Amino acid sequence: MNALVTVDALQVAFATDSGPIIGVQDVSFTINPGETVCVVGESGSGKSVTALSLMRLVEFGGGTITGGALSFRRPDGQVLDVAAADSQVMAAIRGNEIGMIFQEPMTALNPVFTIERQLTDGLILHKGLSQTEARTRALDLLRSVRIPEPERRLRQYPHELSGGMRQRVVIAMAMACEPRLLIADEPTTALDVTIQAEILALINRLKREQGMAVLFITHDMAVVAQMADRVVVMYRGRIVETGTVTEIFETPQQDYTRALLAAVPKLGEMKGKPAPEKMRILGDDAAYAAAKPVTARKPEVLLDVRHLTTRFPVKGGILRRTVAQVHAVEDVSFTLNVGETLALVGESGCGKSSCGRSILRLIEPQSGEVWINGRDIGALGPHDLRRARADMQMVFQDPFASLNPYRRLRDQVAEPIQNFGLAQGQALRDRVAEIFDRVQLPRAFMTRFPHELSGGQRQRVAIARALAVNPKLIVADEAVSALDVSVQAQVLNLMMELQADLGLSYLFISHDMAVVERVAHHVGVMYLGRIVEIGPRAAVFDNPQHPYTQQLLSAVPIADPRRRRFADDLSFKPITSPIFPLGHQSAPSVYTEVAPGHLVLQS
Amino acid sequence: MTYVLNRLLSVILTLFLITLITFAITNILPGDVAMMIMGTQSNPEALAGLRQSLGLNDPLLVQYGRWVGGMLTGDWGDSLIFKKPIAELLSQKIVASAIIVVMSMTIALALAIPLGVWAAVHRDKWQDTASSSTALLGVSLPDFFWGIVMILVFARWLGWFPSSGFVDPSENFVRALRHAFLPSLALGLGLMAHLTRMTRSTMIGILGQEFIRVARAKGLSERTVIWRYALANAIGPVITIAGLQIGYLFGSIIVMETLFNYTGMGWLTYQALLNRDMPLIQASVFVIAAVVMLTNLVVDLLYVAIDPRIRLD
Repeated sequence: MNALVTVDALQVAFATDSGPIIGVQDVSFTINPGETVCVVGESGSGKSVTALSLMRLVEFGGGTITGGALSFRRPDGQVLDVAAADSQVMAAIRGNEIGMIFQEPMTALNPVFTIERQLTDGLILHKGLSQTEARTRALDLLRSVRIPEPERRLRQYPHELSGGMRQRVVIAMAMACEPRLLIADEPTTALDVTIQAEILALINRLKREQGMAVLFITHDMAVVAQMADRVVVMYRGRIVETGTVTEIFETPQQDYTRALLAAVPKLGEMKGKPAPEKMRILGDDAAYAAAKPVTARKPEVLLDVRHLTTRFPVKGGILRRTVAQVHAVEDVSFTLNVGETLALVGESGCGKSSCGRSILRLIEPQSGEVWINGRDIGALGPHDLRRARADMQMVFQDPFASLNPYRRLRDQVAEPIQNFGLAQGQALRDRVAEIFDRVQLPRAFMTRFPHELSGGQRQRVAIARALAVNPKLIVADEAVSALDVSVQAQVLNLMMELQADLGLSYLFISHDMAVVERVAHHVGVMYLGRIVEIGPRAAVFDNPQHPYTQQLLSAVPIADPRRRRFADDLSFKPITSPIFPLGHQSAPSVYTEVAPGHLVLQS
Repeated sequence: MTYVLNRLLSVILTLFLITLITFAITNILPGDVAMMIMGTQSNPEALAGLRQSLGLNDPLLVQYGRWVGGMLTGDWGDSLIFKKPIAELLSQKIVASAIIVVMSMTIALALAIPLGVWAAVHRDKWQDTASSSTALLGVSLPDFFWGIVMILVFARWLGWFPSSGFVDPSENFVRALRHAFLPSLALGLGLMAHLTRMTRSTMIGILGQEFIRVARAKGLSERTVIWRYALANAIGPVITIAGLQIGYLFGSIIVMETLFNYTGMGWLTYQALLNRDMPLIQASVFVIAAVVMLTNLVVDLLYVAIDPRIRLD
């Protein structure tokens, strides 16, 4: 056997106040030289613990390897048991024979050291290079990860680089000593989809060029399909299934793998379907068959946004005067019908969240009109605006942050009802119980606190709170982005059921094209504060006209190993700055109607 | 650069406000300088004459202008009790106190940073408890108590350091430091607690950051990871707290210098207050405020040097 890494019956335990708990158990797999093994699983599956154990970094998080063997074949052919190696040997292997990259490029670099120092210290330590030699090597590394102006970058600090650039530096750092194994722990999860595509392509190229093996940890089945040679599926600290990528995607053996795959929306699978469709949740076939199709009813406009513009001041100078403006939302117009979903998609900073908040006047727009049900929201005084908010509610991304940790869930759901004086006493209690039923939470949860619930359950409470006042419009800002994929499918289904039953309209703000394709009737693509393309979902996804929409769609990983897209280096046009000097005259958004209702921004 | 200018402007503005407040307060207090000089039983006519000659009958704004003008040109007037020019008095005493301030802060930081790092690295273990208890002991007992303990242990029983008095550093530097050591140590123990807590909590935050894991994954030694990678990030907030404590330190110095009969700013201010020496009170309050402001300015500029993210503004 010439495996580079052999993990055999690994067991890791964590010490807690209530005694040790097992993090992973009975985990066995191998990595051969030059192959990519993806470990995939939902949060808490033990995938990161497994990766950290290979580097013995798990010790720093309070974990101990309590069983099994971790064999690593060193360059001299000798096989080392990592679990038993002493810390001197481990320090010599870390960063030298095994490189590692992590999830958060924003925090993976030390903010007070220059890029040069962080790129060279490993080289000086492991390879005994002089400062000058290390610097030359660092420049080569920056070139190999395709960072423009490498000389200048060396002198810069991390905060001067964009997220994508930082992740390239982190990769360069991990590659510095030409490791035989690269461990990548969710390396693209925090990145925008175009940057993710670039980074995935970069890892593929480096792997090919250097014959390095990659252990790729991710929760994203679409990324697995794009990257893996072999796949290890984990669930609750154990391995569920192992196989080649085509075996796992095409003939999964275990129910859990099948359920996981079913919960992943695949870009393109809605082709030819007229209306949004619920996600298929395994073991829930009866409900799926009985589900009403989410069809559009007779179009009736609920929300009409006209030329909405929101700008944020940039303060500067000694007197902190406004010196420039961020054009967050720039001349945005659209309508949303009763009982339908309009998705606003785009990458971070495109203005989609600001747009949602401006509509609810959580931030005050600069100009433009927002009509809900024939009422001009922008013209309302404070008192009327408060009353109008009963019609328009919001669900945020992070349900842990948006729920008050000190209050019982019952009281948090009841609060908006009391605020608007809609019910009290027994009627209020009945109404809250009824809403808990609606979002499929057991009534026993009513007296609990947020920390006693899982992420998906918390998001159901957030939805319940929004539903409490019988709103007509719900602005869902990345409402399912923080959830595991199986939970995401359940929450999406819940939202679609509520829409069918209650005639709710959603403004669905998301960065996830595959999810949007599944749930939206209409889609607006945002870029630099403007909607660059808007129209019926099928028109935008099947016949994208604006270059940015095309770029975005081409960057989305597809959960199908036979449709791989990231072989060679990719380089997308970086997003330019939305900051303009004061008094800058922005041109109005003018659209060409390429098909009925399908509008494309003229440039 | 804008940041530095901003800070300078705010320092100047605050100093201006301080002159207003000190001037106002000393003018609101009953009894004036003429009365202080002549005594309460003095001849009213002589008193009126002195008032006239001292300019105390001029409008307040004119008096204020004269005072500030004098301060700017180095003419700070004479102390009533010491019968000496205030500028000369202060310039001597400020050196004496500077020694104590610098020494006590150095002692505090030298104890607090290792203790805090140690506690953070061994978080929730016995080392953490030991460090917290030590720090808490320092702050929970008042400084003058520590002063008495120092005098008893190091001066009385061991005889290693003198228990009182001040030596001018230009005459004998080593002896000057020996005289300043015990009051500084007593003050340092009081300062240490906050700094230890701050070091500990910042370090715990930093050690949980991803870049620490990245540093370990590079194979760097634990010592490099903690004392270079982590501490370089944690030191900023600690120094900020240290800067803020300088203000508090000037309050404690009054007690400590009096206890050790160490004739610095604190001792001088105490004498001035005791004897209602208005011109001296005004001047010392102003000097103390100015020193506190300037130290904080220096700390902020230091922070800029440590943390590149602030440079951009």
